[in-house]
Amino acid sequence: MLASIGEDLFRAVLQGAPPGTVYALVALGFVLAYKTSGIFNLAFGAQAYVSAVVFFKTHTEWGWPILPAFLLSVVILAPAVGVLLEWLVFRHLRTAPPVAGLVVAIGLTIALPAIVDIVMNFEPKTGASIEGIAPRGNNVFYDVWDIYSFSRNELVAMIVALTATVGLALLFKFTVIGLRMRAVVESPRMTELNGINADRVSTAAWALSSFFAGLAGVLIAPRFTSLAAGEFFNIVVVAIAAAAVGYLVSLPRAFLGGLGLGILIALFNTFIPKWSNDFTWLRPIQSNLTPAIPFIVLFGILVFSPKVRQTQRASDPLSGVDPPPSSQTHVATDSRRITIQRVLGTAFIVACGVVLFTRGDTVWIFLATQAVALAIVFLSITVMTGIAGHISLCQGAFAAIGAFTVFQLADRFDMPVLVAALIGAVIAAVVGALLSLPLLRLNGIWIAIATLAFAYFFNAVMVKFSWVGGSASGAAASLPVPRPVVGPWDFNNDKVFLALVLIILVVATVAVTLFGLSTTGRTLKAVRGSEVAAQSIGISPARARIIAFSVSAFVAAVGGAMLALQQKAVNYDNNFSPFGALFWLVLVVTFGARRPAGALYGAAAFGLMNKIFLEGTFVGWILRDPGRIPGFFPISPKWRFILFGLGTIQYAKHPEGVIEMTKARSAERRAKRAAKKAPPVTATPATQVEEPVS
Amino acid sequence: MTTLLSTRGIRKNFAGIVALESVDIDVEPGERVGLIGPNGAGKTTFFNCILGVIGIDAGRVEFDGVDVSGKRVHERARLGIGRTFQRIELFPDSTVRDHLVIADRARRNERKWFSDIRLLGRPRADELGRTDEILELLGLRELADEPIERLSLGQGRLVEVGRALMTQPRLMLLDEPSSGLDRTETAALAKTLREVQEHRGFAILLVEHDIELVASFTNRSYLLDFGRMLVSGTTAEVMASSEMRHAYLGDLEVPT
Repeated sequence: MLASIGEDLFRAVLQGAPPGTVYALVALGFVLAYKTSGIFNLAFGAQAYVSAVVFFKTHTEWGWPILPAFLLSVVILAPAVGVLLEWLVFRHLRTAPPVAGLVVAIGLTIALPAIVDIVMNFEPKTGASIEGIAPRGNNVFYDVWDIYSFSRNELVAMIVALTATVGLALLFKFTVIGLRMRAVVESPRMTELNGINADRVSTAAWALSSFFAGLAGVLIAPRFTSLAAGEFFNIVVVAIAAAAVGYLVSLPRAFLGGLGLGILIALFNTFIPKWSNDFTWLRPIQSNLTPAIPFIVLFGILVFSPKVRQTQRASDPLSGVDPPPSSQTHVATDSRRITIQRVLGTAFIVACGVVLFTRGDTVWIFLATQAVALAIVFLSITVMTGIAGHISLCQGAFAAIGAFTVFQLADRFDMPVLVAALIGAVIAAVVGALLSLPLLRLNGIWIAIATLAFAYFFNAVMVKFSWVGGSASGAAASLPVPRPVVGPWDFNNDKVFLALVLIILVVATVAVTLFGLSTTGRTLKAVRGSEVAAQSIGISPARARIIAFSVSAFVAAVGGAMLALQQKAVNYDNNFSPFGALFWLVLVVTFGARRPAGALYGAAAFGLMNKIFLEGTFVGWILRDPGRIPGFFPISPKWRFILFGLGTIQYAKHPEGVIEMTKARSAERRAKRAAKKAPPVTATPATQVEEPVS
Repeated sequence: MTTLLSTRGIRKNFAGIVALESVDIDVEPGERVGLIGPNGAGKTTFFNCILGVIGIDAGRVEFDGVDVSGKRVHERARLGIGRTFQRIELFPDSTVRDHLVIADRARRNERKWFSDIRLLGRPRADELGRTDEILELLGLRELADEPIERLSLGQGRLVEVGRALMTQPRLMLLDEPSSGLDRTETAALAKTLREVQEHRGFAILLVEHDIELVASFTNRSYLLDFGRMLVSGTTAEVMASSEMRHAYLGDLEVPT
């Protein structure tokens, strides 16, 4: 008995070592970028994906030998991507608040895979066995101790990862650039004062970090059964967990963290099936508990370890010299213009609505309804990010709670679905409030990371419970949800249902707007603006956060329920997966999270852009003949991801979003034009800009 | 009359370094007290201990006879401790009046949903009255509807004072209000502050290394250096003390 446990242990360690070393590799690269640039590079997974795709394409599809394919995808392309990103994007974010860097990285997480897919003409592969960098790597096995047989891929991955790690350690210890990197870690400003070009050091660090990303991507790809961006985003979350073990700054501990996680997962894989014989409740989740381990570890570290919360920035002795980011002044527009805009806007929307209701076919009604339901979900981001200033990556989970509740209550108790939707929203609000409790002492990016961990935990464990996701076999099966029938209105009719969702959207928009204007909303905005100042006048930041989370979760769940009703099913994987929900945030942030308009535009872009612009319908309208749409249509829907993913880049400078930015620009232009026409008499004190304050 | 603020044996270590060692001070209602000391003396640390921004390792902080050592920052603020910041902390994207209104609502802690909706979040008549009073007092009336991004640093500091005043503090902690200001601006700020303080009758604890400001502004002072309270007494006595000279000038012989 004991011997068998010992053997199991040993086998688990051996089994966990290969993925562990690759996780360690990812964690190292991640920490390297974080240390040298302060950027929490969530796009790390996307970078890994880029190299993995290029390797797959060149080697497997085009038949290149392994070496040139490896050289191109990992040695050349990966660092090039990193340098390019550093040069174009991240260099300019070094003094921006950490959250801005995070948002941009999320945008890149969305954009990069789409770019590489289009450039390489690649479609995500599922169910394929992906080749590694060893010839016939998945088919040759070595079994040294007669306990666990390593595949050749696993062995090679382990050796390569270890070599890279040792190389990194030597570089850091013994070379000039290594010393400079360590210096930049401590304080980029101080290093610059000593006459070292911090930009160049940072570029080198990014090249190195991205090389690690590419290497990890190619090494880990054979472990996946599909080559898709979502899988690679998973590994970056695992890497964050590993990096968190080293408080995000210690390279050796990050390495150990990665290795440890790999082994821990293997241990659970080995032992949980045995335990579940005794503990029946484990059975439904046993296969899903293991992928959730990194997220549980990450969440635990964040919540229970105070040290990790101290961001690296705080320790920079010269951090005080940076000017705080400029904030947006009010856009002063004269009221007549506002009225005209409102009238025209309303007329346009009404016209669209009339055309849609009278002439729209099933496809159009479907897309419009989906956009409207999503707009409700997106409003939750307006509350969370726009009003309260938190980046939450678990809005998908909140929305899913609404959808699942509708399914469960309707399925088990035959409850009217609209009532069920309301109950779902209340449940989500409670979950949101409960989730915010352990997060009370976290701030900035840590909230984002903790919510991401929660989202993945929900995704891997909660969804699988029969009282949440319905069937024990997993959430892949779509759960049927009936449409409501209230009195004379039968919402099975799509147009009637669209009217219902529109009404709910209007109510939600008005409610969110009023919430933003209310005392509570202003309190949240005050905490967003300056937490210490808010505290100094007696505002409790903890209370503000609980309110933000519960209100936001409530709104998201209403939207999620509407999505389920519209599709007459809960399609969890299509609608609410954590990776998919990243795109929501990207859209809303690009258009502007501060006002509900951003959420509405974002939803319209999500739902309709593909049909209207990318499929060429709009050009068809202009040419008045669908037959004359040029041949290059339809354009790949992936352009949406690229467009909006890259749109987040302006978030650092313009957190108010594209809409407000355009307004401000046009107001400036008008002011200039007016100034040209009438020569300035005297500058009034109101427009005189004195030394800016904050 | 109970002492408004009294600290007894405040002690704070940072990773083995003693930042504060048994610091006692008393502030009576309505008086202006200075806390001076050179850079690194522990002033800001002590300030943060009073406010609860950082925890203390030993000792107690009493406000108005109540031990507040275990209370959180915003709870102490609610009891009547207002503050300003060395590096100015204002709410972005809002006007001067917004700052005062939000502080006023935080003090009264009432959520009038209906009137919020009716006025679309604009200040109510009674709030306008109260904010106008403070704005008048601080000479900010003209700037009431200016976004704070357009203010100068000195004006921004006054907004901080006004925001703190809206919470009707009994004790105002000023954290190096002269930092970033030149001498004329500092003098103007001191003048306004003194007028407001005499008018409203709250106590002030001024943390400052600008000796000139402390000398002209406070009646009583404490000198802090290396985490220890060296001298206390009237400001004139403290200024004249040998410890004061030592703390600021080291062992230099000062030609008289």
